[in-house]
Amino acid sequence: MTCDLNLSEDQRQILDAAAAMLSQGHPVSRLRDSQDDTVTAIAEFGGFNLALPEDQGGTGFTLVEEALLHVLLGRHVVSVRALAAPIAARVAAGQGAADLASAFADGTETVCAAIPAAEGTLLIASEGCRYALLFGDRHLSILDLADTHTTVVEGLGHGSVTTRRLALGAGKTVAASNGGPLLEIADLLVSAQLLGIAEATLDLAVDYAQVRRQFGKPIGAFQAIKHQAADMAIQAEMLSTQLDMAAIAARDGRADAAFQIAALRRLAPRVALFNARTCIQIHGGIGFSAEADAHHYLKQAHVLSRLGAAAPLLDLAAALAPYQPA
Amino acid sequence: MQLEFSEDDERFRQAARDWLAANAPTDTPPYDGQPARDYALSWLAKCHAGGWSGIGWPREYGGQSLAPSKLILWYEEYVRARAPSVLDCTFVSVNHAGPTLIALGTDEQKTFHLPRILEGKSVWCQGFSEPGAGSDLASLSTTGRVEGDEIVVNGQKIWTSFADIADYQELLIRTDPEQKRHRGLSWVICDMESPGITVRPIRNMAGVTHFAEVFYDDVRIPLSNVVGGLHDGWRTAMTTLGFERKTAAMGVQLALSIRIEDLIARAEPTPGSAMAERLADLRAEGAALRAMTYRTIFREPANPSEGSLMRLYFAELAQRIAQASMDVLGPEALTDTALTHDYLEAYSETIAGGTAEIQRNIIAERILGLPRE
Repeated sequence: MTCDLNLSEDQRQILDAAAAMLSQGHPVSRLRDSQDDTVTAIAEFGGFNLALPEDQGGTGFTLVEEALLHVLLGRHVVSVRALAAPIAARVAAGQGAADLASAFADGTETVCAAIPAAEGTLLIASEGCRYALLFGDRHLSILDLADTHTTVVEGLGHGSVTTRRLALGAGKTVAASNGGPLLEIADLLVSAQLLGIAEATLDLAVDYAQVRRQFGKPIGAFQAIKHQAADMAIQAEMLSTQLDMAAIAARDGRADAAFQIAALRRLAPRVALFNARTCIQIHGGIGFSAEADAHHYLKQAHVLSRLGAAAPLLDLAAALAPYQPA
Repeated sequence: MQLEFSEDDERFRQAARDWLAANAPTDTPPYDGQPARDYALSWLAKCHAGGWSGIGWPREYGGQSLAPSKLILWYEEYVRARAPSVLDCTFVSVNHAGPTLIALGTDEQKTFHLPRILEGKSVWCQGFSEPGAGSDLASLSTTGRVEGDEIVVNGQKIWTSFADIADYQELLIRTDPEQKRHRGLSWVICDMESPGITVRPIRNMAGVTHFAEVFYDDVRIPLSNVVGGLHDGWRTAMTTLGFERKTAAMGVQLALSIRIEDLIARAEPTPGSAMAERLADLRAEGAALRAMTYRTIFREPANPSEGSLMRLYFAELAQRIAQASMDVLGPEALTDTALTHDYLEAYSETIAGGTAEIQRNIIAERILGLPRE
């Protein structure tokens, strides 16, 4: 029985290890050359079954550590496949498709993200993927893309984000989940990645403001820049705190978990987009170019924001405390 | 990362809830003047009699020595009961002057003042800001000339909340004229009944007079009223600033969460309407503010200036909520005294206790490490 919001030693270790793995294999500068992103190293790291009990092949960590891992994935603008895999594994497991679940979890089967749209489902990063995880309106389903026809959609940034379109109704649904804890987990992990974007763009903007000099000093010495950076810091801190609160509530099965996650998911896109936009502004001319990294975060924030949506917050009982007495 | 209250904590929560339900007044307190003083002191005395005063103070000074988990439960129950705002005229004594004396006061100062504060017998105000020393507090120029065993004070303070109804003031003055800026200042206890003090109340834009200018004309203060050492007043002032921002802020921040819920209940927005979306945003932000309050209490700060992040977030959220309250009510808002009072008061949130601009400088320089100007 304790209230302690510090990271434990175990948490620090797994996150340090993940950060080292990502720094080596997924520097954001890789996206300058190619949008094709493999998530194999993350699967090998155990990133997709982190929260699975050890007797089911997991590593014995919990949803809290998994959420914090996804913050790091967001920081590195890792392909949405890394987001789809652990969620798809849960959806498959929930429907009794154990083999498929473990294939998603250990990375032997790849799964991309799918977004319902009026003109037909959008597939993000679907090259070579047999399956897609559809982030529907308060439901999740796994589509089998075998024998389907998809077309390339150029769209955002003249093809900066690899997108294909699947005709409405095409693709067989092999497993689905309506409402409940799985949607909350999906919302939690999407939000965690959006937080990663908010944090990384803050770091990038601050680093740039230290080295870029105008009028004889670093631009970070001017209040016009400082105050924008301070606003980014407040937004990132606010979202990070709510992520901890929501992840703990979900892990512990608290009564306020749905509320905390709905609040988090509502805040996350706004925060990520604000920080990504401000990061570009602080970079000035180079920030508007495709040769700097700032634009990758903005585009990823737009994609992530479309993966599901927050549960209607006013329909949920507000938790005046994260803990309801029994 | 754990957030589990113990059975002992839960028993405490229930006891707090029961006591507050039976004792907390829920009428609107008077805004200023003697009625505000009488109301606040009577409520504090009631808390004291019930064993609920000085909850964060050490037991040896009459407090309850409550652990952070219990403090937060107390404030949650406090705001749930709609008990009077903690930002009344006892705020400075309980949350600032008292803790400062506990940390740095002499035995004589502690023995005299601490019981009076907790029992609801004295009101304190804070004399820091001056007409020429606002954001740049270290430029203050009110002087204290040491003469024998007295300090003779001359100068002027401003924006002093409740100066007109206070018994004592924590007064920051320049006692060593040879030293500049942060050096050579002293923090002294000033008896507001002293000859030579003139208080001119200032009406604020909300229409009430809770702050004032204070003029000092050869005001004699015993040297024994210095707290934390002669010429060492800046350190004294900084000692308890963190305390105020951390512990005392709990009650204020959690109260804002309740205001959002009350606003949603009052608005009954049509699902999907623009107002419903706006209120949902505010509710999400209120949840995050509560989470930030918890983080401040239960996590080691990564940086000593971290409090500025929450302070500014709170201030701007309070203003958004106040603005939404006006919009929810439409034209009738113009006729609602309590509501318009809270709305107008909210304009002070980004000015008092360090402007939003100063907070942003602190965040940028001390947390993000950007160069000083």
